[in-house]
Amino acid sequence: MNKTLLKSLLALIGLAFLLVIPRFVDSPYALHMMILLFLSVMMGQSWNILGGYAGQHSVGHAAYFGVGAYTTMMLMHTKQIAPWIGVWAGMALVIVVALAIGSICFRLRGPYFVLASIAVAEILRLSAINLTTLTNGAEGILATELPAFKIGGTVVTDFLTKVPFYYIGLFLVLLTIVVTYLVQHSKLGYFFQAIREDQDAAHSLGISISLYKNIALVISAVLTSLAGSFYGIYVGFVDPPTVLGLDVSVQIMLICIIGGMGTIWGPVLGSLILVPLSEALRSNMITEALVKVGLVSADSRVGLFLKENLSHAHVLLYGILVVLVILFMPDGLMGFVNKLMRRKREAV
Amino acid sequence: MAVFMQSLISGILIGGVYALIGIGLTLIFGVMRVINFAHGDILMVGMYLTYIIFTMLGIDPFVSVLITFPLMFLFGGFLQKVFINRVLNALAQNQILLTIGLGLIMSNTVMLIFTSDYKILTTTYSSSTIQVGGGVSVSTPLLISFLITSAITAALYWFLLKTDTGQAIRATAQDRDAAQLMGINVKRMSIIAFGLGSALAGTAGALISPTYYIFPQVGGVFTLKAFVITVLGGMGSVVGATLGGILIGITESLGAVYISSGWKDVIVFVLFLLVLLFKPSGLMGKSRT
Repeated sequence: MNKTLLKSLLALIGLAFLLVIPRFVDSPYALHMMILLFLSVMMGQSWNILGGYAGQHSVGHAAYFGVGAYTTMMLMHTKQIAPWIGVWAGMALVIVVALAIGSICFRLRGPYFVLASIAVAEILRLSAINLTTLTNGAEGILATELPAFKIGGTVVTDFLTKVPFYYIGLFLVLLTIVVTYLVQHSKLGYFFQAIREDQDAAHSLGISISLYKNIALVISAVLTSLAGSFYGIYVGFVDPPTVLGLDVSVQIMLICIIGGMGTIWGPVLGSLILVPLSEALRSNMITEALVKVGLVSADSRVGLFLKENLSHAHVLLYGILVVLVILFMPDGLMGFVNKLMRRKREAV
Repeated sequence: MAVFMQSLISGILIGGVYALIGIGLTLIFGVMRVINFAHGDILMVGMYLTYIIFTMLGIDPFVSVLITFPLMFLFGGFLQKVFINRVLNALAQNQILLTIGLGLIMSNTVMLIFTSDYKILTTTYSSSTIQVGGGVSVSTPLLISFLITSAITAALYWFLLKTDTGQAIRATAQDRDAAQLMGINVKRMSIIAFGLGSALAGTAGALISPTYYIFPQVGGVFTLKAFVITVLGGMGSVVGATLGGILIGITESLGAVYISSGWKDVIVFVLFLLVLLFKPSGLMGKSRT
């Protein structure tokens, strides 16, 4: 059987499996985990287009995530505009923001670009805190009541369970993966990669650097904004640190770095590692497991300490993972796996 | 006028501490071309160190600089030898990510040990002021910290300009390969530079601990400020970082009074973007790379 056929068959089976999961799984927790996973893949994949393919390592993607989330939530909260309309407003606004940022930051290279991207995201975060009349300041916006989604009078869903969110998340993940695939296999993608590999060489070949960087940024920003809107609607609450903070930008990047930049499956792999791990820490699963195995007794000092604190430690884990990945597999897990496979092939 | 003078003076005083932070970052960048995103977190470690020394041994934060400085120097040297040294020839983004990772490890380890509660280090003079005349008064801890900062900066200039090691560090910063050819141990210079940078950041942490809240996430703000200062002064320029620090201190202080305290950081970042756009080499820098 030829290889591409096998690959597409596998992808179809995987998709079918994902489509039927909510039929058989009715634990809201399991669905919640899947939704978090979708969100993470979306965020990673969107960053990947700019960072992985075009080689512009933005550390300010929280800007687009936050603008998307805030616009949708603000419209829903103050103007009662349904989120599936607000999403478009969010994306439109993000395009404007992205082009403004691009016109500033793309004049700069390397570390200067990174610093500028952080500064812009920080300006937006501080503005969200200070523009209290518009954004409700540091308190954030709470809007959990979603209007029912109707098509021609018939209610499609009223968002009372997690199932509709699951399908929206799945749809958005597919969308971002398809966009990435299309970019990778188009002339656009080759231009991006040419810029990533050698900006000056690409320029001398007649590729308009600033045009293609801005295109990469807009695609990336719009997808990130979609992820932000989805996050806002799903969680029902946004505030400056959770959607505009530097942590968010770092987290978005990490998904790609750990999985592998510039590959379609990198962000998926990164999410498959990061989401369960941080959730296991957050929900104290690890402490419970240690107690069950008998390594730590539940009411010893160590046990109590772990129970108390390990749930806060998921960011510590991010830090340790980043350091290990950068030192030992700088191309991420995908790069590491590819290297192993190549070595195996050479050995054969 | 009194208000203006008041905020100008306190801006200069706090700017002295900012200069210390900026010099540390610029020294590391100059010698290794690595942007240290953990700089603020190193400062945070310095703050906690001062806090521990103060609460356990009862040593005054300004005196404890004598302990903090060497300890933070060793800490920085360790970071350089174990982590940073391995990525010196790696891509810029990998270096940045590594230091971000190290910063996350520092802030979250401190959070595990001390929880994320705000700690306050209260000394007898924490809120006392000195009248200068003309209706202008100066906060005592700020004034003392400024004097210590000036002394450290002067000593640092002397070290970099007059001693052999200092000259070797500057030579490494100018041209790593040429320095190596001249028989300079660049690896050792890198360790010293990172150690010094960390010691300066840690000392800055110690100096602001009597007037600032101490909490594990405090570093982020200072990392960003350190970037603004160094870019403003010109990446790698020690004189530039000194000027940049004082300039940022004044901008913040005047911004807080005449615009609003909520927007003062926004002003600093906007200034930063303007410098990046119109004079990316900074006040004292020579080239963009």
